[in-house]
Amino acid sequence: MNSLLRAWTRALAVCAGIGAAWLVLALPASANDLDDIRANKKLVWAADQEGGGPFIYPSDDDPDVLLGFEVDMAEKLAQYLGAEDVFAQGAWDTLLDLVQADKAQIALNGYEWSAERADKFEASIPYYVYALQLMARKDDARIAAWDDLKKPKPEGGKWQVGVLGGSASEEVVAEHCGETTCEVIPYDGNTDAMRDVEIERLDATLQDTPIAAFYGKDFPALHYVDKPVAPGYYSIFVKKGETELIRQLNEAIVLMIRSGDLERIYRKYGIWDELNEQLLEFAENAKYWGYLKASMAEVEKVEMPDEAAVADVSTRKEGWEIVTTYLPTLVQAAGMTILLSVVSFPLAIGIGVLVALGRLYGPGWLRAPLTAYVEFLRGTPLMLQLYFIFFVLPEVGINVPALATAILGLAINYSAYESEIYRAGLQAIPPGQMEAALSLGLTRAQAIRTVVLPQAFRIVIPPVVNDFIALFKDTSVCSVITVIELTKQFSILSKSTLAILEMMGLTALLYLAMSYPLSLAARYVEKRLGNTGAIA
Amino acid sequence: MIVVEGLVKRHGSNEVLKGISLTVAQGEVAAIIGPSGGGKSTFLRCINGLEPFQGGSVRVGPHTLAPGTVAPATLQAVRRQVGFVFQQFNLFPHLSVLDNLLLAPTVALGEARDAVLPRALALLDRVGLAAKRDAFPRDLSGGQQQRVAIARTLVMEPACVLFDEPTSALDPVMASEVMSVITDLAKGRQTMVVVTHSMHFARTVADHVHVFAGGYDVEHGPPSAVFDAPQHEVTRSFFEKAGKD
Repeated sequence: MNSLLRAWTRALAVCAGIGAAWLVLALPASANDLDDIRANKKLVWAADQEGGGPFIYPSDDDPDVLLGFEVDMAEKLAQYLGAEDVFAQGAWDTLLDLVQADKAQIALNGYEWSAERADKFEASIPYYVYALQLMARKDDARIAAWDDLKKPKPEGGKWQVGVLGGSASEEVVAEHCGETTCEVIPYDGNTDAMRDVEIERLDATLQDTPIAAFYGKDFPALHYVDKPVAPGYYSIFVKKGETELIRQLNEAIVLMIRSGDLERIYRKYGIWDELNEQLLEFAENAKYWGYLKASMAEVEKVEMPDEAAVADVSTRKEGWEIVTTYLPTLVQAAGMTILLSVVSFPLAIGIGVLVALGRLYGPGWLRAPLTAYVEFLRGTPLMLQLYFIFFVLPEVGINVPALATAILGLAINYSAYESEIYRAGLQAIPPGQMEAALSLGLTRAQAIRTVVLPQAFRIVIPPVVNDFIALFKDTSVCSVITVIELTKQFSILSKSTLAILEMMGLTALLYLAMSYPLSLAARYVEKRLGNTGAIA
Repeated sequence: MIVVEGLVKRHGSNEVLKGISLTVAQGEVAAIIGPSGGGKSTFLRCINGLEPFQGGSVRVGPHTLAPGTVAPATLQAVRRQVGFVFQQFNLFPHLSVLDNLLLAPTVALGEARDAVLPRALALLDRVGLAAKRDAFPRDLSGGQQQRVAIARTLVMEPACVLFDEPTSALDPVMASEVMSVITDLAKGRQTMVVVTHSMHFARTVADHVHVFAGGYDVEHGPPSAVFDAPQHEVTRSFFEKAGKD
């Protein structure tokens, strides 16, 4: 009994040690981001490739190369700060959290300026003026203006209008169209809504002007309806209190506007429009806001790209070319999926077995906390746990890197399920087995190790394999903490290439290629152990 | 060898053993008989420390089990002196016959496998199962499993072996296989306590017979005395129902 407790404590200490080793890898947060940028000559900027063009997207010619007006901007901004730009991938809705948790220094990814955001973060002056453009089918005579949407739909029911979920467009539709005649359908990606208008599942869609301009050419059946409405501004966001950094970024933006650098970049991606003429005014007025140096400095005007170059930034692939171009990138992401699974699962089993043993055979005082551990982890979503480790722990000075967070989070989350499986497995062993072992003079710990556990291991093979496959697929949740695995890479590429079907096929094949051998191996192990006398 | 004094065992408010005192001498074969529910099995389990008890004491050689929780080291010391053969055999299903025998000496005593092997093989031979050394328990008949279980107990070289109704789960043919092994052991002067329904065994093999009923050791003595001239009414009515063979 005592030796069991000792063994248990020792094993737990090992686990804690592994955890602590990870924490040591964490970097201490510095006092001032601008000093960091200048000292390390690195500007870490956060964006989401999955958001797609024209903001940031993988090149069609080489998916390892990133394109987009914000990519070009980041490079320029870094130059102004005397640094190199380092891209940090993050899910779009967590980019500000990345900045808050010191995982990135700036968020530069089409974030609209809003009073709420500017209150919680330092916001730059606008770098782009966007508006919302209504789009419908060219051959749809029913919709020629916003006013048409205020009339009842001739066929009955409401007009179906697709918007980007969680964006300002939801309110704008309500305001311009009226809730009685229009129904807002939220979408995750930009192009999905356009496609659904094309195939007549939607009547219209409301899109940010840069997206409409960039992807419009891929949907020739659609056209703009009316003038864009509800203009707003994209701003860069940095952590609250980083006033010196935001000041330097603002100076850089002013200089880029005055030199025509921003216009050049926007023209390159076909998103320069009348609205953005306003930027020149901002630059002109910057001297009143304290950016005197930037607004008065001599700047050399840059040359604008010629119109032919603007037409296509990269070429779309088709058929076999898609496989040869993107498969390596997908395979690489699949490697991450495998890495996450095979490292975290053994940890999960190790912790799970210890928890199960502690609950069944441990001293009384240990049982309640272990039960709480299992119930808490099973009762809360994996995503929240990952989010907590990655974004919340930095607030108290614990900064765990993304990959370590992913492995640790998966291992801890799954350890709860594993412990329940092993608890059931251990309890399924008839008590006579333990009694026989004890009566032969074995200690309780020896009996557990040599008699009870080996039999429990055999019983739990099927549910454990099941759990491994579940974990294997759950690795995709790790994209919320910036880890790019197969599913996230699929989303990124399918949105940037629009070759959704082909990407889906390749991704499914890769998943199958990984999970089928696993099933075979599991079946083999099950059969082998079954032959050597599992429980009768 | 084994001295039990005033053993009291309760399950909640139900008193299963009501103060049993019993002595088993070195080399003695004691049989415990009596109606079901009389506390026979519980008594055996208390001697081996598989059940804690509330009163009295159990002394095995130099070790004493006291009421309540007993230190693991004491339990282990007692169990290494006293083997236990279960009604349901309780072989380890994940181990071969030979490994069932080797487990305890190698794990609990830390003996080398090669050192135990001759002893284990000799015991398998003694119970007539040398040919089954590599079989798994599920491939054996009940009688064969119980013989392996006996060999598994003996390989630890216990001073005393407790048998808890070793043939109750077996048909008559298999039961007699097992009984002949136990009888053989008795001839070798192995100290043992056998809880049994076999009156024949108690009468012909045991040195001393105890009749348990209602938590008491109501009557005990040499088989001739107990069987031929039972003193107690409970013993007589038990023999009327169970017979004497």
